Amino acid sequence: MKALAGSPALGVLLTIAGFLLAWGQPPVLPSINVVDMIPASLSGETNQDSEPFLAIQTANPQIMVASAFTPNPFSNTGKAPLYVSQDGGKSWVLNAITPVPRMTCDITHAMAAGENHPRGDLHAGTLACASSITLEESETNDVSSNTTMNVQTTRGNVDQPFVRALGISSGDRIYVGVNDFNQPNGHTATVDVSVDGGATYKSFPIEARKTMGQDGPSVRPAVAGDGTVYAAFFGWRKFSGTVATSDVVVVRTDTAAPGAIPFQALKDPSDKLPGRLVVKNISIPWSNAPTLGQERIGSTLSIAVDPNNSSTVYVGWADRGNKGDIYTLHVRRSSDRGVTWSKKDLPHTTIRNATNLALAVAQNGVAGVLYQQLSNGRWVTHLVQSHDAFATIQDTILASVPANEPTEQFLPYLGDYDYLLSVGNEFRGVFCANNTPDLGNFPQGVTYQRTADFTSKTLNDGLGNQVAISIDPFYFSVPVIP
Amino acid sequence: MKISSFFAALVGTTLWVALFGLSGAAWPQEPDQQTAPAKQSSIVFSGTVSQLGATSFADVPRSAQTIVVRVDSVLKKPAPVSLKRGDNVTVEVKDTSAFQEGARATFYTDGWIFGSGVAVKELAHEISPAGEEATKAASTGEKVSGHTQEQSDQELQDRLNSSDFVVIGRVTGVHRWTPPKSATPYRITEHDPDWHEAVLEIKSVLKGGKVKGNKMVVRFPARNDVAWAQSPKFEKNQRGIFCLNRDQVSGVPTAKLGGNQVNAYTCLGHGAALPMAEEAHVRSLLKRR
Repeated sequence: MKALAGSPALGVLLTIAGFLLAWGQPPVLPSINVVDMIPASLSGETNQDSEPFLAIQTANPQIMVASAFTPNPFSNTGKAPLYVSQDGGKSWVLNAITPVPRMTCDITHAMAAGENHPRGDLHAGTLACASSITLEESETNDVSSNTTMNVQTTRGNVDQPFVRALGISSGDRIYVGVNDFNQPNGHTATVDVSVDGGATYKSFPIEARKTMGQDGPSVRPAVAGDGTVYAAFFGWRKFSGTVATSDVVVVRTDTAAPGAIPFQALKDPSDKLPGRLVVKNISIPWSNAPTLGQERIGSTLSIAVDPNNSSTVYVGWADRGNKGDIYTLHVRRSSDRGVTWSKKDLPHTTIRNATNLALAVAQNGVAGVLYQQLSNGRWVTHLVQSHDAFATIQDTILASVPANEPTEQFLPYLGDYDYLLSVGNEFRGVFCANNTPDLGNFPQGVTYQRTADFTSKTLNDGLGNQVAISIDPFYFSVPVIP
Repeated sequence: MKISSFFAALVGTTLWVALFGLSGAAWPQEPDQQTAPAKQSSIVFSGTVSQLGATSFADVPRSAQTIVVRVDSVLKKPAPVSLKRGDNVTVEVKDTSAFQEGARATFYTDGWIFGSGVAVKELAHEISPAGEEATKAASTGEKVSGHTQEQSDQELQDRLNSSDFVVIGRVTGVHRWTPPKSATPYRITEHDPDWHEAVLEIKSVLKGGKVKGNKMVVRFPARNDVAWAQSPKFEKNQRGIFCLNRDQVSGVPTAKLGGNQVNAYTCLGHGAALPMAEEAHVRSLLKRR
């Protein structure tokens, strides 16, 4: 070797050898990964860790943050924790740094840029529910530090903060969809906008029509790379106590830095008011009790925009569906910046008795739909992909678990939402499920961090004591179809 | 498990005797203050320092403040936490100069990062004399590991301190209560508490003033939503110890009781209602105030 060092012949030989090695071998493709996120050192936990969410750092997608209704693992008065991965989701740790004591009762988050903070910049919207429901919008530059996230704004009387962010050189732009009961005239669908990394927020009501006194809880922003921002919400027109009569409304603003009146770019031809009505007067069952299996239902909504073509946008929701159905999912598409929408559900996207719909669009334009369907006594978690507006699909079942166990500790059982994102050539997401270590429940395979015996299909606390099954958060990554 | 009784005995006898006069202790040596680290810590263990400026597993940021300690004995930990003798723990210490490799100490800590291992933040420590087993407490330590999500003494003390009333009573009736529309804005949310009222017949008042007619109205969320799942749900004939606060949550501070307007109270959050078996414990904590 020493004789060859520095010789031109070495380079030639290595090049030829490398070519021969590579030639004829398939390119290395990412595989499907499913990971139970509970860390090994918390193997004894039996919490209902439901309602997961996921953030991926833009600058380094190996850095991710997730959340669930996971209580502080060491104190009833300590801060609610976040899950952190620094290796692209292979492993997760828990770090109790949110501003909320013990456990949040709603949390979403986004990591916008992070180019100056290797383990930041995380922006979160949390609800603390110890005695009253309070929204805190907060941030941290290091998700592994032991410093509590910095609270930037606080206010009460709001519901379901839903955070999206866009990193640009002049500062992160943050969009937080909230159902803001402080807004006048029942126009509660609101987007909080910060154009200075969360230092200041301004609230913009996005409802323009008469409501029954408020809009539905879900207000969902979606941000494209060019700064186009969409938001979808349920415009509640009537409410019977058990059924909301609702429109699905989409608004849009065309610059990352909104002007005086943002989210006015789309107007519906029927009344010329801001906000395009994708569907009108649908019936949405509202049940704050176990209704779909052990899950409650009432406000399932998702919107996703093509990151490289902001003209293409998908919206999905759940309503009553046909007679005999409990809760039915629907997905529609616009290819002209939300001006017109498909008249009917896209093929393969009318999905009966399902919830937790989450949409995402990959870099190559492939659309992904994550959902959980109650089928034959099991919760079945699907990721459906399509490159042709769901005319043809690839359906990947990530989990199929018994729906009748464990017994719910509280609602939501699995979550009022789960989440799906795309990065590079992967869809990445999170869902919650029964954590029985049974390979038959996970058709794509699964990795448990916590101590589990797949032979006896039991959990233990790492000290030899058996642990009851519970609901755990699961992370997954699935290659995007070509 | 009674954490307080253990640590009263532990600190009051073994540790205090063992550590009296130790120059290496980093916690004040007054007896009352000796109980502080045990009370405030969620994870207590004795161990041997194996590395300085290091961490025991990936994902923990290494710094000059982080040291690795091999666990000799676990004295206190939450039940879900997997921690045992022989494990390596990362401790973010307050003063790195207090530690050398090979030093033995008892660490009073709070959790930090939970992954393939455990990382904790030091609240206090007690250096063991050279040549001595970690601490005498360690010999009994394994018996007390297994502290669960139950309320710790410190948490219960804090709750008692912040309560307007602590009473022993019986629930004589429960009914649904809807706030008047004039009092609170109409809203529909999955976090709706579904307020109910319980009438409490008071047997004795452990904290607070005299209760007129020996009855109180307590509002509680009947909903099993995540926001309220930790709050006690009342049932007729239920007996117990109740930590009550004037109602500042429902939007209406008063209630009707026997045709009279009375103050309304709430009993919210984890551990606000306690079984009668806790009476002596609660009384002893109230005496310490």
